[in-house]
Amino acid sequence: MKPPIVVVEASQDTPLVWFDIAIRGGAALDPVGTEGLHRHTAMLARRGAGSRDRAALDETLDSLGAALDIGVSRDSVSVSGLALSRHLDAVIDLAADVLAAPRFSEDEHERLLRETPQVLDEIRDDDSALATRWFDWVCAPGHPYGRTSLGTEGSLAKIGLADVKALWQRQVVAENMVIGLAGDIDDASAQRFVSRVLERVTAGPRPASAVLGPALLPGATPGRKLVLVDKPDRTQAQLRIGHQSIRYGEPDTAALAIGEAVLGGMFSSRLMQEIRVKRGWSYGAGCSLRRSRLPHWFEIWMAAGIDVAGPAVALTLELLADYAANGPTDDEVDFARSYLIGSMPFHVATARQRMQLAVRDAVFELPAGYTAGLPDAFSQVSAADVRSAVSRCMRPDAAVTVAVTTAAEALPALTKAGAGTARIVRHDEY
Amino acid sequence: MTSSWTLEAEARIGRGGALVRRHRLSNGLGLISLVDRSSPIVALQTWFRVGSRHEKPGATGMAHLFEHLMFGQTEALPPGEFDRLVERTGGESNAATWVDWTYYRLSLPARDLPLGVRLEAERMQHLVLETEPVESERDVVTNERRERVEDDVDGWLDEQLMAQAFTVHPYRWPTIGWMEDIRALALPDIRSFYRQWYAPNNATLVVVGDFEEGSLLDLVASHYGGIVQQPLPAPSELVEPEQARERTVRAPKPIATDRVLAGYKVPGQDHADWAVLEIVATLLAGCPSARLHRHLVIEREVASSVDAQLTPFRDPSLLRLAVTAARGHSADSVLALIDEQLAQMAAHPPQRAEVEKAKALAETDFWSQLVDVDGKAEAFGHYETALGDFRKVTAIAERLAAVTVEDVARCVRAYLRPERRTVVIAEPEGDSDEDEDEDEDDAA
Repeated sequence: MKPPIVVVEASQDTPLVWFDIAIRGGAALDPVGTEGLHRHTAMLARRGAGSRDRAALDETLDSLGAALDIGVSRDSVSVSGLALSRHLDAVIDLAADVLAAPRFSEDEHERLLRETPQVLDEIRDDDSALATRWFDWVCAPGHPYGRTSLGTEGSLAKIGLADVKALWQRQVVAENMVIGLAGDIDDASAQRFVSRVLERVTAGPRPASAVLGPALLPGATPGRKLVLVDKPDRTQAQLRIGHQSIRYGEPDTAALAIGEAVLGGMFSSRLMQEIRVKRGWSYGAGCSLRRSRLPHWFEIWMAAGIDVAGPAVALTLELLADYAANGPTDDEVDFARSYLIGSMPFHVATARQRMQLAVRDAVFELPAGYTAGLPDAFSQVSAADVRSAVSRCMRPDAAVTVAVTTAAEALPALTKAGAGTARIVRHDEY
Repeated sequence: MTSSWTLEAEARIGRGGALVRRHRLSNGLGLISLVDRSSPIVALQTWFRVGSRHEKPGATGMAHLFEHLMFGQTEALPPGEFDRLVERTGGESNAATWVDWTYYRLSLPARDLPLGVRLEAERMQHLVLETEPVESERDVVTNERRERVEDDVDGWLDEQLMAQAFTVHPYRWPTIGWMEDIRALALPDIRSFYRQWYAPNNATLVVVGDFEEGSLLDLVASHYGGIVQQPLPAPSELVEPEQARERTVRAPKPIATDRVLAGYKVPGQDHADWAVLEIVATLLAGCPSARLHRHLVIEREVASSVDAQLTPFRDPSLLRLAVTAARGHSADSVLALIDEQLAQMAAHPPQRAEVEKAKALAETDFWSQLVDVDGKAEAFGHYETALGDFRKVTAIAERLAAVTVEDVARCVRAYLRPERRTVVIAEPEGDSDEDEDEDEDDAA
């Protein structure tokens, strides 16, 4: 059996210890129709474990000044903690309880099924979160990252306690874990932490179901699409524009990161200059390549005034088309390269940051030190490499636009923006 | 050149007892420094003692507008050059404005500290304020306001709470400003505001990171030493009158369930009771086992979330409770349960273990703010600017550690009374046939 991946970053600046225990295989592996299963299972594991019910577990952790949180991404479920180092042993045991002996009580299962739709309500109340939720769904139909990690009212209703227990038993095995520790901890304490966790969890191999293959992914669909999420009384349009992109870690990653910075990753970037600085249309405008284990999205974001939402979309699509056709200039590449190389020390300044980056790289199945080593790759990429990568990977012809706004006001201008024929949906229907 | 500085204060802060010093230049500029060589980076922050409290009615949003304008053209830097110079290093710049202060943040590779000091000194004295850049940033700010207030129910709740809770004090207007004021801010007034407040004797530089202190003192003196101090306006003496009755505002919004934001009048951050109230906030809704979280969210399921925050303002402000009602439950039923819990807490002091729990969480929070160079600089800058002394970062931690069960019961009885409360409620559209409904207020 392979041991779990363990990362330790020590720092004695404060008496705090952070840990991240990532269980590989996240919400992207939810069965179709049962979206939300991974999140529901992980949240439920935190609601009572070992000898403690939910109230006792909360009380014990709080009394130690500690936190034990659940995170669910498309690629992993994580149990993350923060503890004063003098209480670390006690917190380890509580984390091990959650991993190895969750109670999965019927009461908490039913309560969580009642609670989760209210988290959906909060997303629907938040225009930015709502735009992201819709963009994820419509960007690449059939892509596992397009399914909601939270679930829907319909999918949540299909989650049974037997599914929950089976999922946890299958996924929480030593070989499927990545364990990160940072802060006021030495090697001996780290080893004790790992041993105490591993002696409690199943020693089985990594389950085949934790691995999602790229063969399942759909390709980008040609043709622009516009989804207008209708919400009353808006003064702005929350906009997302993008398409499926490459996998973080592919050979084009360094070149495309420079291309991303030129287009929308800095204040000096083209989008920020054209949309905010020159026209004042939005407080901010930028783009990002979502970093994940599988190919994810390239996404442009902004919140334009409702009176300029149409022109803002039209201009953005023009900028994207021009960028894909011509790419960045040599000067732009030099500038972005300098920015990206110079910014790396800020991403690895603290022990916690270094640990989190290392854990993420491991979850993405990248070589150890991949992200921290990107500055070397940036220095070797030429302007021609960047233009070539941008040309291959940016797809203005396949751009999907999501606008959360008031349809009656925004529709006429948005339909003239060249974003495709508008499909209007209610803000609370998904 | 270091002789032009006066060493005013020093303290050992943090686990290793690192030495934090405050020097002052002869023109009044403060400099707080802490050497931290854990990474080859530096946090350079410039804190100005000017926030929305220093504005005038009709010209709200002025302080925040500068948060935007200060990245614009200066006499030596063409438009956009400030950001380009910073980004070429890999560094980042940002700024924040609140009621008591405005600060400008540069995160730079250590070798680029001289560039940062030069840029900050340049924009403190040579900002170019002309019609075109001001109008461009005015449009950006109106869009920022739309995003954060007009189209954001939480932003609206926050703005309404302060507007209703304060009748006299400048805390009553939003830091971003009222929309009609943002649109009306006049260029002569903008220039006047800059001359008045952006002066060395109204500023503190906070530098944390990998540098040599003597070189820093020389560097700052060389760039700032020639800047002339300005006469500063007398601080506002406006005192908010005691609140005698509960105030309530309701409005329909496109949301799924009721949202409640309640604010109880409490003392400013420098008051001895502030630390006690921080513990109270934690006990109410600051952790998973907190009373209101357990009672409203878990046991009764009348709320989907509850949060408690104590605003760290210089003058008396609010302990805020934010609640999102669960489906099928009203804001009024949630408020009734909150009242029950507060009455119980006032009548029956918490157990010692419960207070010790909140103190343990406060200890974790204290250390968490001192993890990186930016966090350390922000902590020192806030306490120096809002409360007059960076050393209060540890003084408040000591106060938190000394809170007793009796303190908690006393402060709940003294401050968390309905008549000291202002409540803002957002209700789903269609639930009520009224538009905005403001309850009759007590006379100021």
